[in-house]
Parts: sequence; structure tokens; C-alpha cells
Amino acid sequence: MSTGSAHQRSGPASQLVVYAVVAVALLWTLVPLVWMLMGSFKNSADVTAKNPAFFFEPTLANYRGLFGGANDLVPYLWHSVVAAGVSAVLSLVLGTLAGYGLARSAMRGKHHLSFWIISTRMAPIAAVVLPLFLMFRLVGLIDTLPGLILAYMSFNLPFAIWLMSAFFADIPPSLEESAMVAGCSRWQAFWHVVLPLSKAGLVTTGVLCLVFAWNDYAFATVFAGPNSQTLPIAASQLVTQTGIDWGQLSAIGTIVVLPMILAGLAVRRWLVTGLTLGAVTGE
Amino acid sequence: MTTVVDERAEKSESPAESGAPGRRGPTLSLYGWLMTPGVAVLAVLSIIPFLALVTMSFSRVGLLGGVSLEWAGLDNWSRVLSDPDMWASWGRTAVYLAATLGLEMLLGIGIAIALHSVVRGRGLLLSLILLPMFVAPVIVGLLGRYLTDSTFGLYTSLLRSVGYDGDILGGTTSAFIAVVLMDVWEWTPLIALIVLAGLSGVNPSVLEAAAMDGAGYWRTLLHIVMPSIRGILLVALLIRAMDAVRYFDIIYVTTNGGPADATKTIPIRLFETAFRFFDLGYAAAIGLMMLVVTILIAQAFVRLLGTKGQTS
Repeated sequence: MSTGSAHQRSGPASQLVVYAVVAVALLWTLVPLVWMLMGSFKNSADVTAKNPAFFFEPTLANYRGLFGGANDLVPYLWHSVVAAGVSAVLSLVLGTLAGYGLARSAMRGKHHLSFWIISTRMAPIAAVVLPLFLMFRLVGLIDTLPGLILAYMSFNLPFAIWLMSAFFADIPPSLEESAMVAGCSRWQAFWHVVLPLSKAGLVTTGVLCLVFAWNDYAFATVFAGPNSQTLPIAASQLVTQTGIDWGQLSAIGTIVVLPMILAGLAVRRWLVTGLTLGAVTGE
Repeated sequence: MTTVVDERAEKSESPAESGAPGRRGPTLSLYGWLMTPGVAVLAVLSIIPFLALVTMSFSRVGLLGGVSLEWAGLDNWSRVLSDPDMWASWGRTAVYLAATLGLEMLLGIGIAIALHSVVRGRGLLLSLILLPMFVAPVIVGLLGRYLTDSTFGLYTSLLRSVGYDGDILGGTTSAFIAVVLMDVWEWTPLIALIVLAGLSGVNPSVLEAAAMDGAGYWRTLLHIVMPSIRGILLVALLIRAMDAVRYFDIIYVTTNGGPADATKTIPIRLFETAFRFFDLGYAAAIGLMMLVVTILIAQAFVRLLGTKGQTS
């Protein structure tokens, strides 16, 4: 909001400190990512050179090997897209409806309901995987995409309900009331008045659900088999007893990371709200 | 804010309008109907697993030909509570939490304060600083292995040039520090982002007044800025605490608990117990203990929201 700050006045010396801190933070943040990006274009000799290769002949061999080569990445990519995409969309639809209900309802026990929803979202993955593994085994959902989608909804759905309800709570109910005075039904007021005002919330919630599911490793490593393995599994499978193909691994890493960075930065303005589950707003 | 009490009563709701079946008796309002599908799915995905987890913790679980449960009474619980390795893991988890959260808060606050006083290009800088948050933890772990590889790691060669010659992920202390730093790399940006939002909410005129008074920079920071963003700092801390108990991918793909158990935190132990030794009942008892910890943190979080309301 306000760009003014108290520290600007404090002279060139402290400005220097500020820039030094920012520079170090940038280096610490970016070096691993840049190194991974560089690694994905290195041949096998350069990628494991004893003296780190800063200058090298770039090659597309790693990417070529992943698309059409021996380690075909396409099925993994497809599984990731379906599992993350469908779980995000389903969570967003159910979460939007439930979140609106939760934000506007005056029912008794609402606090308990909210608390249950947030504890579901925050439950340790290891403690959720365990019973789901037994349940999925019983009903035959192991190594299926629907199983993975359900597993991802176990954390994305409560997240979507909670976050959408936080976004809806910021919209004054008087808007719907005036729409209803003008002849709208409650549902029409929601659909034509509230929902269009919640675009930012919808996009943010959808993107974050997508990121959480796309980046999952723990659920996939337990539930996924040949028919449902996702990109993070493909990355971990390159780690073998005989050695690791770091060039290909860097390429997979880049493929996993890049779309999420783009999606995440697209909603940067609402990231604080999203990642604090609505507890903090605005930059 | 999520706890705003809605004044509008539901009694004005007519069944026809709300789409409820036109029978007599209690009907749900539109809001209730909207909540039903989501809450029903969530119940299936959370209450049933929870009950299953409780049942498992009192059973011997067999996986031969499907799933079989055999009543085991308090066996798993007495083993979990009397296992010294288990308590060592809890201790390690506590140290891991303290180290990651402590460093992330410290660095995150530092970065946020620095970014806050940058006027031009702050948006771009913030975007760059945030990047690690979007990286899948499993990739963070694998990338960490690449950077610290004992023969060709970039960071290994940097450390070698300043005189450190050990195998980073091979030594107990250095491996622990390494997995802590990987977590710090990924999540410090989140703290910076949250704190920056808090700083932007601090009333500039308060800061100007402090400057007029001749209050020093650090004094202003400590006595005026920090107290006014205390709520936000607490939110950041609690969110990170819950996630730190939640995720274990980084350790799982780097050291998997080793060397010599140095990085074997509770979730790693649970995973190993369940999916390597297939001692699922015992693992369930561990899982329930973890669940209690996160529920306590979540309770603090919700209470904070209720009392503080929205900031900025």
C-alpha cells in the first residue's frame, strides 16, 4: 500500500546495508534454481564435473531423453496434470459453495465446524496417508488416478472451503441484501453478485490447490503405481543404486517447477491471504 | 474475521426459496445446502480415516491378501510410549522445529525489513525472493543433494575453498544442518512475505512521529514496529509450525533419517515403520500423537484469529 517507510531517511549507510541484505538473499535464493536450470542443459560430463562448470556447451539431450527417449516422461506428466488439475477443480467447486455457506451461515456450532475444517487441512500427511492406504487397499483405489485425486482432496478441499469462506467474509452481506430487495433469490444474489466479486479469491484458491497437489510427493509415493505415477515420483526414480542422472533430474526439476512458479506469481497479490488461510491480507 | 457473527437469522428462509424438499420438519437453509456436498466429502476423507487410524492404533494390522485387523489392546501404545528411540525422535523433531522456525523467522523478518525500505523495484525483488516457495519439496531435497554432493556439488566446492572438507550429507551434524537449511531455503520467503504485509500495515505516521522524536532506527523497530506486527508474526509462526510437522519430503529424499538416525524426525520414523517394516498399528499410534500436536497448534491459530481479527 504505502511505499513510504521510516528508514529511507536514515542515510546512505543504512541504504547500503539494505541493498547488501537484499543481494545476499537473492543469491541464496536464486543460485540453486539457476544451477538446476543450467544443469538441465549440460551433458553428463559437465553436470558432474569436479570443478563446477559455469561455462559449457548447452545441449537439449536431457529434455530429448525425457520426451521420446528411454525415460519417457509423458505418462508421468499426464498423471500429474489430471491428478492435480481435477483435485483442484473439484476442491474449488465444492469449496466455493461450502465456503459461502460457512461465511454467511449463522448456525450453531459454526466454530467447531471451522476448527474441524482447518485441523483437517493441517493434519500431518504421514498420519493421513496411513489410514487412507488401508481404505484405498480395501476398495481398490491404490494405483488409480481417482485414488490420487481423492487423496489430494483430503487437503485441498478443507483448504478451499476455509480460504473461500475468508474471501466471502470480506464481501459485505448488504450487497446481497440489496440484490434481494431488487428481486433476486438468495442463490441469484450469490451467483450474479457475490461470485463475480470473488474472482481473485477463486483464482488464488484454485492456483494454490493446484500447486499443493502438483508438488505432492508423500501421497504419490504410497498410492501411485505404474498407472498413476506423477512427476515428483519420476524425479525420485532417477535416484538409483548405480547412480543418479543429474542432467535429466535437473530437466525434470525444471519441468516440475516452472509452471508452478508462473502460476504462483500470477496470483502474487493474494498470496499472503492464501497462504495464511485468510489470516493476513494485502501487501 | 472468519469468526464474524452473522446477524441474519435463517428463519426467513422459505423452503421453496432454499430449494429444500417441501416436507414439514426441519429444513436446511440455502447456506446449509451449499455446505452439504463439500462437508460430506470432507467427512468421508477425514472422519473415516481418523476412526480408522484410532482403530489401527489398537490393532495388529495384516496386509496379506487384503487387509486384516486383529485386536491388540494397548500393545502399540505401550510400545510407542516406552520406546527410547521414539523419544529421541521427538527430541530431534523439536530441535528441527526450533532450528527451522527460528532461522526462518529471523531471516524472514530481516529480508522483509530490507525489502520494505526498497522503494524502486520492490515488486520484482519480492517475486524473485518468493520463488523457492513454489518448488516441490521433493525437488528441493534432490537439488540439495546435487548441490552438496561430495565430489561435484557446487556448495561442496565452495565450502572446500574455505577449508571445510567433510561429506556434508554423510556427517551426522552436517546432514542435520543441511536438511534444516533446505527447509529454510524453501520457507523463509513465506515468512518474509507475511511480515512484509504486516509492515505495510503499520501506520507510516506513527513511524514519522518516532523519527521526529529522534528515536533511533533500532529503537523504532523494536518498540514500535515489532509490537504492532506481533499478531502477524504469530500467524506466520503457527502456519509454519503446522507445515513443518506436516511435510517431510525433503528429509525423505535426502538422508531418509540417516546418517545414524541424525535426521530421523517423527514423520520419517512413522513412514519407515509403516511402509518399510509394515508395522501399521504402531505407526498409527505415532500418527495420532502427531495429530494431537498439530491440533494444539491449530487451536492456537484459530483462537488468534478470533481475538485479533484482521490486520492491515
